[in-house]
Amino acid sequence: MLRLNLLLLLAVMGSAIFLVHSQYESRRLFTELDRSVNESRRLATENQRLEVEKRAQATPQRVEVMAREQLKMHSATPAITQYVQDNARSGTAP
Amino acid sequence: MTRSVLYTSSPLLASKTPLWRSKMIVAMLALGFVGLGARAAYVQVFGNDFFQRQGEVRFARTLELPANRGRILDRNGLILASSVPAASIWAIPEDVEKEDPEVAAKLRKLAKLLEMTPAALDARLADEDKTFVWIKRQLDWDIGEEIKALGIKGIYQRKEYKRQYPEGEPAAHVVGFTNVEDQGQEGMELAFNKELGGKAGSRRVIKDRMGRVVEGVGEEVPPLDGQDIQLSIDSKVQYFAYQKLREQVEKFKAKAGSVVVMDARTGELLALANYPSYVPDKRKNLTGEQLRNRAITDVFEPGSTMKPITVGIALETGKFKPDTPVDTTPGRITVTGSTISDTHNYGLLTVAGVIQKSSNVGTTKISQQLTAQQMWEGFSAVGFGQKPQISFPGAASGRLRPYKTWRPVEQATMSYGYGLSASLLQMTRSYTVFANDGRVIPATMLKRDEPPVGVPIFSERTANQVRQMLALAAGPGGTGQKAQTVGYSVGGKSGTARKQVGKNYASGKYRAWFTGLAPVDKPRVIVSVMVDEPSAGSFYGGTVAAPVFSEVVQQTLRLMGVQPDVAVVPQIVANPVEESL
Repeated sequence: MLRLNLLLLLAVMGSAIFLVHSQYESRRLFTELDRSVNESRRLATENQRLEVEKRAQATPQRVEVMAREQLKMHSATPAITQYVQDNARSGTAP
Repeated sequence: MTRSVLYTSSPLLASKTPLWRSKMIVAMLALGFVGLGARAAYVQVFGNDFFQRQGEVRFARTLELPANRGRILDRNGLILASSVPAASIWAIPEDVEKEDPEVAAKLRKLAKLLEMTPAALDARLADEDKTFVWIKRQLDWDIGEEIKALGIKGIYQRKEYKRQYPEGEPAAHVVGFTNVEDQGQEGMELAFNKELGGKAGSRRVIKDRMGRVVEGVGEEVPPLDGQDIQLSIDSKVQYFAYQKLREQVEKFKAKAGSVVVMDARTGELLALANYPSYVPDKRKNLTGEQLRNRAITDVFEPGSTMKPITVGIALETGKFKPDTPVDTTPGRITVTGSTISDTHNYGLLTVAGVIQKSSNVGTTKISQQLTAQQMWEGFSAVGFGQKPQISFPGAASGRLRPYKTWRPVEQATMSYGYGLSASLLQMTRSYTVFANDGRVIPATMLKRDEPPVGVPIFSERTANQVRQMLALAAGPGGTGQKAQTVGYSVGGKSGTARKQVGKNYASGKYRAWFTGLAPVDKPRVIVSVMVDEPSAGSFYGGTVAAPVFSEVVQQTLRLMGVQPDVAVVPQIVANPVEESL
């Protein structure tokens, strides 16, 4: 009887310590998760910010100015455009 | 004999104190325990809520989960408006130690980063009674980081969101803008404020002594991000249209101008630009002139651009055919005492010729064969005097009086576009009736997945006949020759409307119009141009507005990948034998 009681006492103490440990662990993990979630949110907004910046660098206005002035390009006219039939729509074989 | 010591009766221990003292100590101790018990019961049972709350206040926090405002995209998914994080700087003036030379030096740096003069910054920090002062809101995030690095005591920052408009000026009127509170103020930002605006979520957490979140309590309300709105606008067309319009307005020293480009099959607006415009990010010193989206909110008398509608109504009655003769001699006509005249005496014209030469007398004669009701019904059916079914704030409906109040002379002037008013958008939309074989389709600023079902107004034949007349008007001998463009057949009508100032028409003040479609046989775009008060050189719609039409049509059709329907001499250097065009 005494042995059994001792065993149970040990088991109770063991589980109590394990409980404390797992509680601690769960809080630690939660903190980490929270930090990661925040990080992901931060990165998402950063991504959006950069996307806008990228877009701002590629506005038609900027593209046109660069194409004309730096690359010396000029607008295409029908005279210098070769039109090909859209076979998928017209249904004829190439 | 045993020696025994009776400890209990030891004389040394014999107490002289009375029994009640020991009893009292026992009672006191017992009372102490009762007190503790009562306190425990109070804390745990009766006052539980209060203590629980107090505890939570000390370690639980409600965190707001901010929602993002939706983006505004163009038809190809390019960003027209998007929110980015921004730093807003605020201060507790009392805590800023301005006398300290080190802090003073830092404040100068801060002023430089904020693009403020040191004096202006000092003025903000002057009132020491205040505990919260905004220094500057919505700065770029990077600048915010630099300010954080300065580490001035009493200067703090808050994360906010700021709207960015990468497209800038050309699309400013369509997209609109938001205020610092992230609420739409103009344009689509205002029209779709509810859809774009997200709903912030929240969650309660327990924080430890280091400020780390250790546990979530209760339910988390996730933030609801705003929806993205996809417009029908094509930013390339938009930019190009704006660019050409601006050049023309400046060239002719005009007051303002607008251009509308519509997909003729779907009613989607590909571009809608006004000049003067503004940069949405820099809205200081904005004037109403810059802010107004003239193409939608302002109404004018359309002048001759109205004639094709009148002729369409006339053809539909069966009383007229394109080759029905109309005698405009001697270039004047008197209707109940008022004289209506043409710039030249065109003599005997056909109905098609009336449109080609833009004869007021001819149109008047045609309209005299129509009843006021017929004309009113026709005008209303294509959208005049009706509020446009477009989700845009302040869309004007124009004026079209009920036909019962029309006097004969008014019926005559209305036939060539005076005495009624319409916005450039309404004018553009009315031409869908010619572009879509007699069906008028609703205009939209949002991308459509399927072409809408139009309302039949004219027969297919009438629409086709009017299109051919429009082609004549934009062709040799017509008033809108400058609308011609390489590779594509165009049809359109110019208009030069005198401006009404007060009750009378002002002399020398005109509005130059051009509305047309291209290609003529299977129209893909309808383009309208309006230039307000051109004052240098010419003021005719055919010279001021038509060239803008020509260039916009050219560029738009090319971007849409429409094959030219008019033979062009190919100049392809690499492959000069192609003759299929």
